[in-house]
Amino acid sequence: MKSFVTRRLYSHAFYGVTWTSPLPIWLAFFFIGPVVLLLWLSFWDVRNFVLTPDFQLDNWIRILSADYFWTAYFRTSAFAAAAAVTVSLLALPCSLAISFFFAMRGRLILLSLFIVPFFTSYLVRVYSWQIYLTENGIISRLAEFFGVNAASLLNTPFALLVGFVTLTFPLVIVTQSISMLSIDRTLIDAAYNLGCGPARILTAAVLPAAKPGIVIGALFAFIFSFGDFVTPTYLGGGKFTTLSILIADTVKSGQQWPRAAVIAIMMIATLLSVALVSIAIAYRRK
Amino acid sequence: MLVEPEKNINHQIALHHAHQDETKMQPLISMKGIHKSYGRAVAIERLDLDIDEGKFIAIMGPSGCGKSTLLRCLAGMEELSGGKILRQGIEINDLPIWERDTPLVWQSLALFPFLTVLENVEFGLRMKGVGRGERRERALRWLKRLQLEDHSDRGVDQLSGGQRQRVALARCLVTEPSVLLLDEPLSALDAHLSVRMQGELKRLQRELGITFIYVTHSHSEAFSMADQVVIMNEGRIEQIGAPEEIYLRPATPFVARFLGGSNIIECKARERNSGEIILESTDGSFKCDSKVTSNVSCGDKVNLIIRADQISVTAEAGWAENEIYCQVIGEEFVGALVNLRLETSSGTPIIVQLQQRDMEALDIEIGGGVNASWHPEDGHIINA
Amino acid sequence: MRVSARTKTVFRLFCFLILAFLYAPIVTNFVFSLNSDRFPTIPLGEATLDWYRLAFTDDLLRSALLNSVIVGAIVAPVSTLMGFAAAYADYRFNFFGKRLILVLALLPPLIPLVVIGLAMLAYLSRIGLSGTLPAIVASHIVLTSPFAMAIIRLRFAQIDGDLEFAAQNLGASNWRAFREVIIPSTKTAVLAAALLCLAVSFDEYAVTWFVGGLNETTSVRILSFLQSAVSPRINAIGSVTFIVSITLILGAQFLLLRKGTGGIGNAR
Repeated sequence: MKSFVTRRLYSHAFYGVTWTSPLPIWLAFFFIGPVVLLLWLSFWDVRNFVLTPDFQLDNWIRILSADYFWTAYFRTSAFAAAAAVTVSLLALPCSLAISFFFAMRGRLILLSLFIVPFFTSYLVRVYSWQIYLTENGIISRLAEFFGVNAASLLNTPFALLVGFVTLTFPLVIVTQSISMLSIDRTLIDAAYNLGCGPARILTAAVLPAAKPGIVIGALFAFIFSFGDFVTPTYLGGGKFTTLSILIADTVKSGQQWPRAAVIAIMMIATLLSVALVSIAIAYRRK
Repeated sequence: MLVEPEKNINHQIALHHAHQDETKMQPLISMKGIHKSYGRAVAIERLDLDIDEGKFIAIMGPSGCGKSTLLRCLAGMEELSGGKILRQGIEINDLPIWERDTPLVWQSLALFPFLTVLENVEFGLRMKGVGRGERRERALRWLKRLQLEDHSDRGVDQLSGGQRQRVALARCLVTEPSVLLLDEPLSALDAHLSVRMQGELKRLQRELGITFIYVTHSHSEAFSMADQVVIMNEGRIEQIGAPEEIYLRPATPFVARFLGGSNIIECKARERNSGEIILESTDGSFKCDSKVTSNVSCGDKVNLIIRADQISVTAEAGWAENEIYCQVIGEEFVGALVNLRLETSSGTPIIVQLQQRDMEALDIEIGGGVNASWHPEDGHIINA
Repeated sequence: MRVSARTKTVFRLFCFLILAFLYAPIVTNFVFSLNSDRFPTIPLGEATLDWYRLAFTDDLLRSALLNSVIVGAIVAPVSTLMGFAAAYADYRFNFFGKRLILVLALLPPLIPLVVIGLAMLAYLSRIGLSGTLPAIVASHIVLTSPFAMAIIRLRFAQIDGDLEFAAQNLGASNWRAFREVIIPSTKTAVLAAALLCLAVSFDEYAVTWFVGGLNETTSVRILSFLQSAVSPRINAIGSVTFIVSITLILGAQFLLLRKGTGGIGNAR
């Protein structure tokens, strides 16, 4: 009877392990592994164009003392922050509308419409925006039509914002909407019964309750804008070097992977810190 | 597919019986020293319980008392931290859920939404390997028995609450088990439907002659259906007995309070004469018939329990031998009965249940004073 | 929420404005892919299919499309399966370190693609896989499994936790109960997740560019065109990719939203 029982324990355990292990194992090999290597890579050396494992701080010192790095760093952060704020503000009326001003059916259709572009090619969409923003582009022509002389909007911060909004809008609106949709409607009804007007309800009840969704949405927008190289490259025309462009250039031009690794680690560290702070803010209870 | 002989519990039981003479005397299920803990929280504490064949057992208690956990341990969904469960003499606590043959009617019913009513009922038979024709026939027979044959091809979400109850029952009973577990199956039904289902369940159990183990927090359900009631509190059994016995003679203060409708007066036994015991309390001294008491010695701290319907309320004194002067705090009308809430001068609450017409005969005001009295043979002593 | 009809209209209008903004590039892309002018300007030239012809007779593009299909065909099932396993494990089991694993599984989307690209390039080079299709497959699985897991986990949250145990209680073993209960309850969500993984894999350009080397997928080919040979050919290829992606996504949404099987906006 005893071996029978042990066999049974093993088959129970086997069942559990079969389901629990695949993804973590894969991620350990193909995600954690690479990231750990990246960290180690940042201490390597390039001698005679050959990548050599090492443990030296040269790369770190060089990058962290370089002006071009810090310029790019702050530029990237500033743009990402601006993008996060812009997208969040633009998304707010939409998620409010979705949550409160549309019936169930309209809500679903609208959300679906917002989500579809997110899964289409970002590259091609950015390229299309070039057509709008360039000299003799669509917007320029429209402005002329109205008698306004508009210079090229391409390669301006505005163009970058356009690109980032294109990238992140669907994600932000979904995040905000999820939060808003889960607000207890009876609270809002109660507020009405107490005589509060819509504006007051918005600021006093809806926005605070939707804070997690709004903050997390802004966080996502920040993260994606921070790491994107397509918009700064194709809508920025090379005028705005971001950290991601630095990495791509460093890899393209030579074997200076260790230096690129340093930049990459700095990016990860920044994003992790911002994420932790945002999550704390989002879920802090007063 | 070959089934190993060890795996077939019924085969094992048959073998076991071949060596036994007095299987009839043995309880169907015997739980010994059951202990279940989650980390440091103890859900069930060294519990012993025997369940006889063919009986309707109700396990009752407040939320968190461990009754559902006990049922789940029996069905195999929880692992025991200690103790063993025997079924007709064979240990089953190492068996996985699917080999225990302890079908359970779930509180949420857990009907399969992706199967029709008929397919739901056939499920257990299909798992046992019963052929398609026979499965269908047996399932339909059960559906007919529970008046569901017209719904056999419908989806379960198209049925009413009561109908889904019956599907859940049919699903369990179609495999002809010797024991059926029920975990608060009527809690989601409205009162009217619940009462009707109670009658049906009791009738079914009588007809089938199998053991029903029914977990509930409702007194009325347990008392109306069960042959034997087990009252649990904080992982332990407080009392086991037939409904009338528990009602008439609660064994612990908890049971008395849990069932409601009883008054508890803390006393000390002062004297013991032939035929009666004199108790002393802050509300006075009372006589108690020694026939209804067990081993109580002088000086023992005891609880005197008198049911609300055993107390008489009068304006004048002298109605019965045991008497307290109380103030009327409130009254509640419950149909033909009235619950009168009184309080003694030392603050002990007394609740009295009267007929509506008797209330009218008395002229009682809230805040007024009355005499509450009872006879020595009513009332019942338990050790504190 | 009760507001004036005018306020409602203003808000709704705003929504449509934003939608117009989001779809504008897609629409103009189609328009200019059919435009005869070499440079996309207004006024438009004549309608023509030349750019499509030009694009799809390009050998590099055809092999890129083939690569996209091959990669997608492997990534979708594998990633969905792994995402499913993780979602099921989260739903069914409690074990030490569970929360850590969940955080880990949801981490990849938060790391910038260039960083992942660089890391994978270095790593795969060390194990000799860089510049191969398997490298692309491996990376895509890392990138898409969080999506699969999230969607399927949402579906699991709607399944009555007693159902599996009810099946076991009636005689089904672990695996049998899984087959009888979990598979029918989740297959729609699984299919939707697979379509989603396919869509994400198809449009992935950054990491693929790093690790694929000379093996290009469609998205990488587009990137190459953008870097060197800009012409309405890009519009043509773009239009085709849009149609593919939109079909996949609409398919996934349709699966997810019918019969209340998972998805957002459900039961609210």
